[in-house]
Amino acid sequence: MLANRLTRGTLGAAMIAVALGTTSVVSQVSTAAAWSLEEAAAPYKGATIRTIGEALPPLEAMKKLAPEFEKRTGIKVEIEMYEHSEAVNKVMLDLNSRRGRYDFIIQPHRELGKFVTNGHLGSLEKYLDSAELRDPQFKPEDQLYPRLWKEISWYDGKVYGFPFTALSMYMWYRSDLLSDEKEKEGFKARYGYDLAPAQDWKQYRDIAEWFTRPDQRLYGTALQGKRHEALWYEWLNFLYSFGGDMLDTKSGSECGPVIVNSPQAIAATEYYKSLKAFSPPDTLNYFWDDVMALMQQGEVAQLIMWNDSTYAVAVDESASTVVGKMGFDIVPQGEGGKVAQVEGWSYLVPTSSKNKEAAYLFIQWMMDYDQQLNQHLNGGATARPDVYSSEEVQKLPYSRASMDSNAVARSKPTVPLSGEMTDILVRELSSYLADEKTAKEALDRSAQDISTLLGSCAPMKYPVE
Amino acid sequence: MNTVKQLSRGRFLLDRGASLPLLLPATLLVLVFLVGPFGYMAYTAMTDLSYANPDQNGAFIGLDNFRQLVRNDPVFWDSFWLTIRFVVASVTVEFALGFALAWLIWRFIERQRLLTTLLLVPMMLAPVAVGLIWRLLLQGDFGMVSYYLRAVGLLSQQSAVFSTPYLVMPTIIAIDVWQWTPFVTLIILAGLMSLPKAPFEAATMDGAGPWRQFIDIMLPLLRPIIALVLLLRGIDAFKEFDKVFILTGGGPGTVSELLSIYAYRVNFKNWNLGYGATVAFMVYLVVLILCSIFYKAVYWKSPVGKV
Repeated sequence: MLANRLTRGTLGAAMIAVALGTTSVVSQVSTAAAWSLEEAAAPYKGATIRTIGEALPPLEAMKKLAPEFEKRTGIKVEIEMYEHSEAVNKVMLDLNSRRGRYDFIIQPHRELGKFVTNGHLGSLEKYLDSAELRDPQFKPEDQLYPRLWKEISWYDGKVYGFPFTALSMYMWYRSDLLSDEKEKEGFKARYGYDLAPAQDWKQYRDIAEWFTRPDQRLYGTALQGKRHEALWYEWLNFLYSFGGDMLDTKSGSECGPVIVNSPQAIAATEYYKSLKAFSPPDTLNYFWDDVMALMQQGEVAQLIMWNDSTYAVAVDESASTVVGKMGFDIVPQGEGGKVAQVEGWSYLVPTSSKNKEAAYLFIQWMMDYDQQLNQHLNGGATARPDVYSSEEVQKLPYSRASMDSNAVARSKPTVPLSGEMTDILVRELSSYLADEKTAKEALDRSAQDISTLLGSCAPMKYPVE
Repeated sequence: MNTVKQLSRGRFLLDRGASLPLLLPATLLVLVFLVGPFGYMAYTAMTDLSYANPDQNGAFIGLDNFRQLVRNDPVFWDSFWLTIRFVVASVTVEFALGFALAWLIWRFIERQRLLTTLLLVPMMLAPVAVGLIWRLLLQGDFGMVSYYLRAVGLLSQQSAVFSTPYLVMPTIIAIDVWQWTPFVTLIILAGLMSLPKAPFEAATMDGAGPWRQFIDIMLPLLRPIIALVLLLRGIDAFKEFDKVFILTGGGPGTVSELLSIYAYRVNFKNWNLGYGATVAFMVYLVVLILCSIFYKAVYWKSPVGKV
């Protein structure tokens, strides 16, 4: 009897559950069916939304995609493209003048703290909560790499944007050279182990040394040693991998003790400079464009570079002489384990924007699978794992390295004064490379200056005597 | 008689205050584009305005920025002395070469017009273009000038101009000399061409040789022109930014961090606009002081009079 009742009760509960579930699915399907981009965009038809970003393949790909959005919505999209610093400076001036020239902006995540704390950005939560604007199929919490999204588009626990590009740096190497039988034989005879893509920094230096042959116009590596942000970005790979960091914090929006002159940081910096011997003579005048050009010309065996430049070297035959000869892997491991330095550019909507809703709709549309796939295949760097799983993307020689790097993305300071922190470090690192001071002197000075800059929240963990 | 009438009518109008409307447009332009912005810069220099730090919202802090700059900013002072060295070196070389070239042209060349047109070319290029051209020419891997410097043994195979710290400033000075020597040449040449012949003929009659004529007649007569050239080049060199920004960005290390590069970093990298205005104000002050000292030195007891 009891068994009978239990069975009946269980069956009833199961039926209710099925009924509820069905209702939920039906309601979701009906909501999904009810929402359409055309309808959502109808109130904004005829509007023009203007944006600004860095003149690189991902933005060019977006420019090619925009006409489809314009056709479907009647919203016109204007895109301004500038060189990196120009794109950042123009936005800073526009935001501070409150002119509202840009309806949405595409900016590197190191700028986020400055924008948010000065009230230039509004959280996007209200758009995500809006039944009229939000596409029910758009589920960033499930569709994006969660750590990466939080790292590059969130500040202080709030969402301010979506990743335009998930930029990480990884190791580029000449697979043809590393798999050449004669090279392998010679390398093993000299170093006592097999020639293969470097897994640790000792191997990385050995390979750099082995392939440095100036008479053949071949160098083991190429450092981005110019006094430029590129130097700092490159150095971060070494810093993180050696187990160092700039601030002792858990997230980019936190302020905390300065540890940039830790023993690990000094070791990383000294190691970094030791590679100068295997880099072309003009290495202190290089930034990302120069080393990319060298790689395209086949003059370098391995280096650490950005994923958004990979396409131009590994795929674009009109620009590169080494298509089909390139391999990619996560940066070699040090004491800090597997880590990647990540810098994303995000879609952000300024508070001064005159067409916030239309801008949100465009951004949301760009985050769709189809647009993300198209952009990624044309030199983009998506933050959607499902795009990486597509067959076409899997064929790209750098997909594995991108995915591995995205998975171990490391945060960096995005506090309002992080730009000035970077400037201090660029100056000091450049001084060290130019033999003006030792690694310890350069990092001690950096730590002192950063601690003074950030104030009482950032005491020095390694005080200078 | 007519002329006298016109003149007296002109004087009458001026006396009646009709000069005011005539002066107004120029005065307004000066007020709006020079005095106004300068006043605003001076005010900003006394605030803590920062676009980066939300705690610094432009509060008035008196002379704190100036105190910080003078007492606690070694980077500013390093940049300052580097800029002074750059100005002295580049203007001296430009003047010496420019003068010599002008004298040679004046003395020996018939078709001066063609040559002067050719001389204008480097000056007509925008400084940014000059920077980009020389960045390519001196590029360490494929730069044409680097290649020939290596070929003749002036540069070792394993070095490059902008990656060798001790070569960076001399190279920047050389590029400035390449760009601006023609300017000096043209101005001095114009001065030479307008020299009166009589004093030289008289000196020749009195038995003065070419050297004596050069020292005692030509140089004093050219004094206002020379002063003008040195002043213009000095001010311009003090503000040098574009070429250095393109070529080295102030590096490697701090070897080419001129004052203008430092001001740019403070203002547009760190967005510390209050302090940045202080740096700019100090640059203005230094230029003003140097100019007035120079002006007094050149025109003091000048036999030719003021320009």
